Parts: sequence; structure tokens; C-alpha cells
Amino acid sequence: MPIYAPTLPPAPDLTLGQPPALVLMRFDFTRLWRQKIGRFFGFTFLLLLLWKVARIYLDHLLHTNQALKPMQDFAKTILTQGAAFQADLLNPASYLLWFLVALVGGGLVARDTLYRVRPLMYAHPVTPRDYLLAKLGFASLLPFLILLPFALLPWLMSLLLAGAQGPVWVTAPLRLLPAMAISSVLMGSLAVGASSMAATPRAGVGWVLGLVLGASTLASMIHGLAGLPAVDALNPILLAETWPQLLVGVERPLVAWLPAVLGTAFHIGLWTWVAARRTRPSEAVI
Amino acid sequence: MLSLDRASLRYGPILGLSPTSFELPGGGGITGLLGPNGAGKSSLLQLVSGLLPPSGGAVRVFGEAPFRNPAVLARVGLVPEGDRLPTGLRADRWLRMMGELSGLSGEGLKAAMARALQTVGMADRSHLTFARMSKGMRQRMRLSQALLHEPELLILDEPFNGLDPEARLTLMALLRDLAEKGTRILVSSHILGEIAQLTDRILLLFRGRLLAEGTVTEIRQLLDRHPVELRLTGEAQVLARWAVEQPELAALRMEEEAVVLSVRSPRDFLPRLQQAAAEGAIPLRALDPLDLNLDAVFQYLTKDHA
Repeated sequence: MPIYAPTLPPAPDLTLGQPPALVLMRFDFTRLWRQKIGRFFGFTFLLLLLWKVARIYLDHLLHTNQALKPMQDFAKTILTQGAAFQADLLNPASYLLWFLVALVGGGLVARDTLYRVRPLMYAHPVTPRDYLLAKLGFASLLPFLILLPFALLPWLMSLLLAGAQGPVWVTAPLRLLPAMAISSVLMGSLAVGASSMAATPRAGVGWVLGLVLGASTLASMIHGLAGLPAVDALNPILLAETWPQLLVGVERPLVAWLPAVLGTAFHIGLWTWVAARRTRPSEAVI
Repeated sequence: MLSLDRASLRYGPILGLSPTSFELPGGGGITGLLGPNGAGKSSLLQLVSGLLPPSGGAVRVFGEAPFRNPAVLARVGLVPEGDRLPTGLRADRWLRMMGELSGLSGEGLKAAMARALQTVGMADRSHLTFARMSKGMRQRMRLSQALLHEPELLILDEPFNGLDPEARLTLMALLRDLAEKGTRILVSSHILGEIAQLTDRILLLFRGRLLAEGTVTEIRQLLDRHPVELRLTGEAQVLARWAVEQPELAALRMEEEAVVLSVRSPRDFLPRLQQAAAEGAIPLRALDPLDLNLDAVFQYLTKDHA
């Protein structure tokens, strides 16, 4: 016979916790921090950052040290100035960044699919929107945080060394930060969408790389065959590189304004939609 | 506490659960959800645990629809089927995240983790990664995440799958203990023995339909088409002579020192048998009901609806 007891002890207070999306995002960041992959990419990006900062310092030396005067002509060839220089600050080996996003983002949703974690999460006070927000947030915040020192450190260095006369514009962060945000959301949504289609983390990495490289190749082929440069807007790698150029006002950006806006909206919309569909509770079979 | 009112679930054209109605009372206790593979147990649990909305009818848990309802989900604990957990992850870190998802934090979370790990007997092994845990240990960790927020309703889907006999007994004792302390437990299984050991109250599902609800005895009494089989041990000839005069007798089989009777309406028959034995009218040494167990009930009901 069933056993009946009078009442349960008082339930714990469940109102003091953090929002579920934040909990999930923090968990993913902590997991990444403990992985060696984070250390490898951290070291590589640090080297790239040092190179960018060193260029600013070199520029400063060339302008202030008379002994280096004869080298100025040569220096002009490696130290591009103006809008292109500002946009280039956010281009720390674009392929490397995409590769990192694929490696980390590819497993984001796929890992939960493999280990059937989502039914457990949805059985807690976690909605599919929380889950999607957490995954998109993590996958977008990761490239954003990597790019952040590339935008701020050279700017700070330039400001400290040469003030308003430095090679980095005083207003550069105001243009670069929105560009970083757009590129990061593009990368994040594509990674999460691709990961949601995979059954294992490894397959997720394959999906991300396949989609990025596939879309790039397709766009290049159509561009070449039909002579339509606007089709380049389907290329996510080009799009991510274009936004800094557009916002700092490079004379000839890789993709024009309208195709860039449409292409970015298409990619973000499509992959977010795919991820939302694939992470619905009905997909989270017990 | 929990009620289904003609609740059904469809997966596209496939009917996972036919319109089903039942109620579970509040307070502690264990209810077994029994049925063969594909019977609709997991579909029913998905409805009850708020993972999916019903395709028709209504599901109420604590008086509210559970689907995407944090107020309900905060009072429910789910242990899904399966053994897959992120292998490289430390169990305590995973448990902490699950606690935070339930709304716990700080000292409250630490205390809840310690309590849940103590309850499942994993307090000293939670620092291990899932890869280094046995199946039984992983199952206990899954249970601990469901206990963190001290749910009033605990749902377990096939919790005994793959466990060795010792781990099964430990888990059963743990569930009984939780039920005694006031938790209502809904546990599914396709193995009759497990449910029979754990509880007397069952919900019997077959091919997406709820066939029966109640105790094994109550359900057995509903089965008029299948008379109860009783073995009367004693002087078989005398017992048989007395039995053939009873109106409830449907069949009779002689054994060496016993007689096996098929009897309709055991409620009427058994008091008369008891009285005859007490008065010395029949030489009865022992009485064994042969098909008042869960196996027999299950066989009868599923055979009828196959």
C-alpha cells in the first residue's frame, strides 16, 4: 500500500538564484577555462595582440626617435594608416578565430544532445528560450571577449604614447565595438545553429567548419561565375571582416553596406531559427 | 497533487498516449508506472514533468499546467532514463549547475548539495568525474540532482535499468525512505518484479493506453473474465467435493495433496471457505493464491488488449 506522510519539511528558498541563462553561460565559460584548448588559443591570440601593440610602439618610435628617421619610408609600407588600419585592428587572424568558434561552439548544443542533458534542464525552471539565450550568449561573447583587447589595447597604447596624433583614432572604440558585436553574434549564431544539427560534439565542429567553408566557397563560385559581388554577403568569413571596415569607413569594403546588412541578418536569423527548432522540448526526448 | 484529464500526446501522426485520466493524491507514497517498452510511459512522464504540452486534454500538477511553468517545475524532480552523462565532467560541478538551475545559490546551495549527496550516499565520491563512476553511482548522482530542491513530486523513468541487484535494493530502500518522509514518487518500469517490490499502487499502460489503476488486488478484482486461481492444500478428494458445490467455482484441477480452484468473485468465496475450514467441514492445511501477483495481472490485461 502507498505510504502517506503528513507533510514535507519547508522547501528551500528558490528565489535567490541567478537567471538560468546566466548559470548555463557561466558553466560553459568555466568548462572552457579548464580545457587546454582555451590555453592554446589564449597563448596564440596573446602573441597576435602583442604584435599589434608592438606596431603601435614602433610607429611611435619612428615618429619620435631621430635615429630611426631613415627607416620611415620602409615603415610606411608595414604601418598602414587611416581607416584601413583601424579596421585591421579587429582582424587577428580571422581564420584562427573562426576555427576557435568552430571548436568550442560546435560542441555547445551537440554535447547536450549526446548526453541528453536538455530534458533534465527543461525539467528544471529553464525554458528553451533560456537555453538558447545561454548558448548564443556564450558563443557570441567568446569571440567578442577575444576581440576586445585587440580594439582597446592598441587604442590605449596609441592614446598614451601620442594622444590624438597617434595612429589609432581617438573615437576608434566607438566604431569598433559595435562592429565586434555584430561579427561576434554572426559567429555565435552560426556555431550554435550548426551545433544543434549535430549529434556529437565532434560532428558539431564538422558542421560549423562545413557551413562556414561551404558558404564561403559557394559565394565565391557564384561571384566568379555570375560576376555578382553582392553574393559575397553569403560568405560569413567576409561578413565578419567587413563590419569593422564598414563602421570605420574604409573606402572599398569587402562587402557593400546593403548586402552586408542583408547577409548578416540572413545568417543570424537562419541559424538562430535552426537552433531554436532543434532545441525545442519536443526534440528533448526523455 | 497530480491529475490527468483525458490528456493525450501525439508525435506527429503517431499517438504516444491515448486520452488518459487519473489522479495521484498528495502526501508521500510511491506509484509505479508499469508497461512494456513502447507502452507510453515516457510520454506520460514527459507530460507530467512539463517537458511537453498535451496534444489534447489537460495535465495538472499542484493545480497548474506544468508545461514551461517554473512555479510547478520548482516543485518537481525528474530522473530521466539513460546513463549518459558528460563523462569528463566532475559530478559535483554538474550537480552545482543543476542546483543553480533550480534557483539555489550560495550557502543554501552548498547545504542542499551536501544533503542530497548524503541522501544518495555519494558525499565522499562526488569529486570524481562521471567517467570514473560505476553505473550505480551515476544513477545515484542523477537522483541527487532531482533531490537538490527537495521536490514534492519525484519522477523516475526506468531508474533500475542496468543496475546490479545490490544497487537496485539500495535505490529501492532510498525511494521508500523518501516516500516515508513525504515525497510523492512516480516511478516507471517495464519490469514487473521491480514495481511489485517497490509499491502496491500501479498505473498499467499498454500501447499508449492506461489499462488499469489501483493496487494489484483492486485491479485483479476487476478481471472478471479471468477467475482467481487458488491452491487448497489438504485432503484433495474432500476439498474437491466441497468446492464443486460452490456457485463461484469455474474450474477445478486435482493435484497430489491439493486441489487448484478457479474461482469467480473471491470476495464471496473466500469468507465461505474460511468459515468451512473453521467449522472443520473441510480439511484445509494451506491456501495459496496463484495469480494474485503483478505478473498475472499484467499478463491478463495485456492479453485482453492485444
